[in-house]
Amino acid sequence: MAHTKFGHITRRALLKAGATLPLIGIAAPNVLAQPLSKSPTKVLDFLTNADVAKAEQEGQLVFYCHENEAGTAGIMQGFSKDFPKIKTSYVRAQTGALYSKILAERSAGRFDVDVLQLSDLSPAFDFQKKGGYEHYESPESGAYKKDNMSSPKGYFFWTGVDPAGIAYNVDKVAGSDAPKGWKDILDPRWKGKISCKISASGLQFVQWYMLRQLYGDGFWKEFAKLQPHAFDSRVQLFDRLSKGDDTITAIGEYPAYILFKSRGAKVEFVAPADGLVATPLVVGAVNKAPHPEAAKLFVDWAMSKRGQEWYQTNPNLYYASVRTDAPPMPTGVSLTQFKLLYPQDWDDYAKQSATFLKEWNGMLGL
Amino acid sequence: MSAAVSSTEFFSAPKIAGYGVAAVAAVLVLYPVFFLLQAALDVGDPQTRPPTAYGLDNFEALLNYPQIMLNTLSVSFAATLMALVIGFIMAWILTRTNVPGRLLFEQLMAVPYYLTPLLGALAWSMLGSPESGFINQFWRALGGSGHVIDINTPYGIAWVMALFEGSVAFVMIGAVMKSMDPALEEASQVIGASRLRTMLRVTLPLVIPGVLGAAIFVFAEMLGSFAVALVLGTPNRYYVITTAIYQLIQQYPPRIQIAAAMGTSLFAVMFLMLFLYRRIVTAGSYVTITGKAFRPRVADVGRLRYLLFGVCLFYLAVSVVLPIATLLFASVQKIAVAFPTADNFTLDNFRSAMSMNAAGSALTNSLILAFATATIGIGLMGLLAWLIYRSRLPGAGLIEYVVMFPQAVPRLVFAFGMMWAWLVFPIPIYGTLWLLLIAYLTVFLPLGVRTIAGVMLQVDKSLEECAQMCGASWAFRMRTVSIPLLVPGLVAAWLLLFIASVRELGASILLMGPHSKVITPAIVESWFSTASELTATLALIQTLVVAAAVAVLVVVTRRVSTHLVN
Amino acid sequence: MAPKPHIEVENLEVYFGAVPAVRGVSFTVLHGEQLTLLGPSGCGKTTTLRAIAGLEKPVAGEIRIDGAPIYSAARDIHVPAEKRGLSMVFQSYAIWPHMTVFDNVAYGLRVRREEAAAIRDKVMRALALVQMQAFADRRASQLSGGQQQRVALARAFVFQPSVLLFDEPLSNLDAKLRADMRIELRELQHRLGITSVYVTHDLEEALAMSDHIVVMRDGLVEQTGTPDEIYRLPRSAFVADFIGSANLVHGRNRRDLATDGLLALETPGGQVIYGNAYGRSAGDELTVSVRTVHLQISPQRPAGDRNVWPARVEKTVFQGDFTQVHILWGDQRLIARCAALDPLPAGQEVFISVDPKRVVLLGT
Repeated sequence: MAHTKFGHITRRALLKAGATLPLIGIAAPNVLAQPLSKSPTKVLDFLTNADVAKAEQEGQLVFYCHENEAGTAGIMQGFSKDFPKIKTSYVRAQTGALYSKILAERSAGRFDVDVLQLSDLSPAFDFQKKGGYEHYESPESGAYKKDNMSSPKGYFFWTGVDPAGIAYNVDKVAGSDAPKGWKDILDPRWKGKISCKISASGLQFVQWYMLRQLYGDGFWKEFAKLQPHAFDSRVQLFDRLSKGDDTITAIGEYPAYILFKSRGAKVEFVAPADGLVATPLVVGAVNKAPHPEAAKLFVDWAMSKRGQEWYQTNPNLYYASVRTDAPPMPTGVSLTQFKLLYPQDWDDYAKQSATFLKEWNGMLGL
Repeated sequence: MSAAVSSTEFFSAPKIAGYGVAAVAAVLVLYPVFFLLQAALDVGDPQTRPPTAYGLDNFEALLNYPQIMLNTLSVSFAATLMALVIGFIMAWILTRTNVPGRLLFEQLMAVPYYLTPLLGALAWSMLGSPESGFINQFWRALGGSGHVIDINTPYGIAWVMALFEGSVAFVMIGAVMKSMDPALEEASQVIGASRLRTMLRVTLPLVIPGVLGAAIFVFAEMLGSFAVALVLGTPNRYYVITTAIYQLIQQYPPRIQIAAAMGTSLFAVMFLMLFLYRRIVTAGSYVTITGKAFRPRVADVGRLRYLLFGVCLFYLAVSVVLPIATLLFASVQKIAVAFPTADNFTLDNFRSAMSMNAAGSALTNSLILAFATATIGIGLMGLLAWLIYRSRLPGAGLIEYVVMFPQAVPRLVFAFGMMWAWLVFPIPIYGTLWLLLIAYLTVFLPLGVRTIAGVMLQVDKSLEECAQMCGASWAFRMRTVSIPLLVPGLVAAWLLLFIASVRELGASILLMGPHSKVITPAIVESWFSTASELTATLALIQTLVVAAAVAVLVVVTRRVSTHLVN
Repeated sequence: MAPKPHIEVENLEVYFGAVPAVRGVSFTVLHGEQLTLLGPSGCGKTTTLRAIAGLEKPVAGEIRIDGAPIYSAARDIHVPAEKRGLSMVFQSYAIWPHMTVFDNVAYGLRVRREEAAAIRDKVMRALALVQMQAFADRRASQLSGGQQQRVALARAFVFQPSVLLFDEPLSNLDAKLRADMRIELRELQHRLGITSVYVTHDLEEALAMSDHIVVMRDGLVEQTGTPDEIYRLPRSAFVADFIGSANLVHGRNRRDLATDGLLALETPGGQVIYGNAYGRSAGDELTVSVRTVHLQISPQRPAGDRNVWPARVEKTVFQGDFTQVHILWGDQRLIARCAALDPLPAGQEVFISVDPKRVVLLGT
């Protein structure tokens, strides 16, 4: 199918997008749901079960996030604006590295993290199994479909979705030569000029898994022959793309495309007919947090309309929200025309992790 | 700094101070190395600690990465060669010819080092990338095709390494030239040899042993280089051992064991190099300051001076002016190009920068940490220098080995060992500034002790012995004679430690926690996940703030030092 | 009443690593006297002095002050330098540049916690003794060499130590200043009555200033005695030639020619020279020393038949106060030092003679 220009993402389009997501059917371990000890209070314009006064007394929030620097800082900025008494600090690293870090710390008895955001469901499941997440049912969780939260709910939720297609530099690639589908990225003319993400990236894992499913094991072996350059963040990918250091990127995230286009970058986005790969971005409060009330407050904030709006409109984020009553995005495309590619079987997906890491690292020379 | 300490006094004050500080140094240095070796030999399940099985499998696995070893050696070799050439030329120009502004240039030669190789790499990446590099854009604007330089190649990496990490070569070769007796050359010229012949037959052979020593030392430093290879090499999948270790640790799951094996092998090579260096240069001391300093004969090179002046200016332009100008140019653009249109200019980058870790908390942390490192450092290292070079206590030679040991371990590898060592330490310092403080004090031991020892050895022993003969106890004469005489040197060492601390990258990048961000690693982290314009802005802000801090400190220390001596 | 021993050094050995610097040195310094350690560089004199000071650690021997050991290998005693109550003037003066002249001199008194008024008084008097009162508030780093030397001296005796150690204090001064300072130092030492141990390589200094001299070579003592004894009665060829210049003559002991308490030596060339044994044992082969200043030259044969020989002038070297004449005596070359001679052309036949009292047998 030919790629089209983009218009708005309407609320309806998002609802439809949400509807195409496969059901998550994971057998979760039997954990007693904590009864709500008190009724939720209203703070600003959302509901929370956290003790806001206590949270402000705690005065701090430590946030571990996979997002790039500006994005993470952006999320913290949003929370700080609403709760100035809570001083935020963050650590950012790509999902794989972030997860190793928090596991290493916990195994040594260090519990310094309040809230964790990951770009991959696989480590999130693992963390839930390990009892790493705090079980906290937010009063805002009513606005989310069951599929967009942990099972049982209360461990983590989908704070957004990050879709990616292909992007290229318009000065280097004439419109007629432009790639149209996923298979086009295997073209030998991209050798040495194509970029992707590092193995620690959740989105990259999803792309690997999905395209392998669609096109077979040989797909990525062909890709490896192009000797792609791998980077940590979408910002780096688009930075290089806009300057011509790379001609094309195999994993062009839509939020980054919007951001760079608004700055005047000469880039173009392609939504392949087979669909855009997408990964959920999951947030959860961490067990044994140093500032538990602040952690809960953040989760409620992030889940709320207010927080979601921030996530959607901050130029460094531009997440697509899965909240059922999410407001429309300021600019965007109608995703209804495209499929979003998600793993059907998250169990199988998680099991493939080791294979992915070996193949991807090997491709990059490590 | 007295001479012989009585053997009949068992618990004398100097002994307690000396052995106490030696014990501290030993723990600081050896504890992480133990953990590094343990991880390298761990062949059991990586997730369980302590290790369940030991073996050499990890070292065997290294054979799967011959390219990385080769890359490390070749890039270090090229960088050393370039650094030596640059260092030799500049040393010759600045110590042997009457080029105008000699003294000023000599001071300025240190500036690239202070700017940090990271900044140099960022700037040169913007200058020399084959597609987006400004130089290449100029080239194409002038009608050329393709690109004229590609900074992302091994040669490009070596070039930037030599420019920004090679000032050690200049200092060492300059010292060698200064310690040469000019009478030796004059004898040659009196006999009738031309200047060139004198240079080749007299100067060069005399200078070669020192240059060889410098070569080995610089090579060891280049082996441990990290920032430049990270920024310029990693995007092109060109890894050296240090960047490979970093990548391996960042993977999920982190491949600690093989990273430790790589680190250990690098450490072994560096150790060997430095061992060779000691054999060639001295009879065992790292203090490169020789007793007698000659005044080298400065040759009048006539009109050649202006050409040489140009060479000096060119060097400064390429290593200081151009990089900073590039970063400035990039920081005020939305998307940095060589020929921006009017609407490409913006101050947004500065606005964003202020809200990021790297600008706010990281700067403050770095300055506080630098202050603490320098202050505690001169105390610790002063005592160690005294212990090793003046006290004549038994075992002092062994302590010198321990103190100089961190020289042989690349900072990243050292921090790797520290990461594990201090993670399991009962006192919760992991992730705090305390851990960074300990790391800095450890990795700066060779630098600090060497600098203070140099100053210390210039103080005539008889000044202290005379105080002894007047009846002064060790503490009294330390306070009234030794320390006041050392003050100018200690102040210089303090400043050196301050600057080294602020520019530190290799150790800090592994040991930072959410509450303990420091500048240089924060900029690297931002480079990973930020647009290059924003990173350029951060680097600029960092440089400006540090330069301002250093300027203030230089003024203050100058005043303090004259006041104390008075 | 004879002065008592103040410092006793017994079989002292000092090593630097594996290298022996002092290989077994013994001597005694009496109260109030100046004893000089004299010898060429490297002979161990400075090391011995520093061992007495406590700045070097010996490996064997004993050092006692007034009978009490401050170092004893056998008894494992080594009193630290700051506790020995000695004082020292260093070759480089060791003036502390960051203090004033006053503070330099007052240091030893401040260490001993004396009162400010007492300190002021003592320091100014000490400075007056070395004629440096006017410089009391001057920065020490601004002084000339000679001035620094005086300050070092004042600093050394201001706290009234019982012993003063001098490590070649005049060697960095020019010749004229050195000569003047020599006299001043000697007078000062007498005035204060302090026992001194003095180290120098300068012969004139040692002879002018000392009560006793210890001549050292290669870590060992060559000879001990008063200046006069050492000069007139050297025991070894080394001492003979080091202390003033001497001619050495070897030969057979002609006991058959010995007479009047003198001994007779026959050189390989056949000349017979009469000399004095001065109590030393005479074997079959003898060596005697004849000082160059005692060898007389005259164009005509002088009176007397002992120790008179014909000889030929080889060359003369004009040295100002004296002239050095190189003489061929048989097949041996001799040197004579004569004052204000009429010029002697090379090759001239002359007569040389020497008083037998001045011909000294070398040996113990």
